[in-house]
Amino acid sequence: MKEDRFDELMRDAAETYRKPVAPDFDAMWKGIEAEHFGGRVTGGREERGVVRWATNRWVGIAATLLIGIGVGRVSTSLEKSAKLPVAAAVPEISTASANTAAVTHDESLAAQPYDRETSKYLGQTAALLVSLPNEVKAGRADAQFVSRAVDLLTTTRLLLDSPAAKDPAMRNLFEDLELVLAQVVRLQNNRGTRTELDLITEALQQRDVLPRLRTAVADISAN
Amino acid sequence: MTRLAIALKTNQVSEPEIISRVLAGDRIAARELYDAHSSRVYRLAFRLTGDADLAREFTQDTFVRAFSQLARFRGDSALSTWLHRITVTVVANAMRKVKRFRERETDLEDVHPISSDNTGVDPVLRERLARAIDGLSEIYRTTIIMHDIEGYTHTEIAEVLGVAEGTCKSRLSQARAQLRATLADLAPELES
Repeated sequence: MKEDRFDELMRDAAETYRKPVAPDFDAMWKGIEAEHFGGRVTGGREERGVVRWATNRWVGIAATLLIGIGVGRVSTSLEKSAKLPVAAAVPEISTASANTAAVTHDESLAAQPYDRETSKYLGQTAALLVSLPNEVKAGRADAQFVSRAVDLLTTTRLLLDSPAAKDPAMRNLFEDLELVLAQVVRLQNNRGTRTELDLITEALQQRDVLPRLRTAVADISAN
Repeated sequence: MTRLAIALKTNQVSEPEIISRVLAGDRIAARELYDAHSSRVYRLAFRLTGDADLAREFTQDTFVRAFSQLARFRGDSALSTWLHRITVTVVANAMRKVKRFRERETDLEDVHPISSDNTGVDPVLRERLARAIDGLSEIYRTTIIMHDIEGYTHTEIAEVLGVAEGTCKSRLSQARAQLRATLADLAPELES
């Protein structure tokens, strides 16, 4: 395609692609004013914001504790399974469920080698995300910290292309972690401002990342 | 647009002055700031989402966050750059959830109608280009929308996205290359 023809197409796109429809700016302002300056908007953004803030605060604290427990459980179970003889590590399968188990066996076999890597990755990511607010506040979100985030971001992308991402819930979690880690990596360029940190924290809360991370760690541990 | 908003746009009132008034709780100053920047923030949100309701929601979120965090604005960049950075982040954070929901509820093709201006470009070609832009990954789509569609400079995009200017140029080049590759089967029509 000739360059000038492509440029012409893009100029046309500037006029036609997702052409903005003029909004009611006054109505938008009323919502902003009510939320920021505390207007009386029943059931509006302000109320939801306060409830969300209070809920998220406790969810965050609970998630931090549970992740610690989950990571601990994984480490313990991995340690135990490494010490067990191979025959003892094979779970007993009843005759009735043997056929069902055989069907799912192939799928789980494909993902098995990734479980350990996934578990390690989830633990490291949880540790990084939980420590992030304190690291930023203490001014320690330095090159080394960002470099850990870069490594984890790379691992996320590799896992997204692996059988470990076959499970839709796990895939969604990887995708959300990819976005959050990309924001952490950007902290370096933005010099770790509080605004950036708030946006990351909000992304974590909006997507329930930490509770889902904890659940994933517990699931892998249980399997 | 109010007089102060016009004055702000024409540099008759300095940004630090209006910011300090907003920080002091002056609602009128906050409204002036909103009037001066809301149009561009909304345009960006609309271009990134293609949905008027979402664009309104994200514009409101952007200003609510901006006002609540204004004390932390250090003036390292222009206020508009800071606002657009919040906009891009707000949109990126929310769109994955929206996209997931839409994938379950409806066909994405029904969401973004293409306007039909008579500019001489074949409507099929226009539609294909729009779909190709939609199909780009987030970083490339954001870059090409900001540069080619909304007219931001590389310097502005680099500041908003927190990347080096060279990275921004490289992403734009990659995005264009991907669009050309996607439209490769239309090459004869494009040459005509």
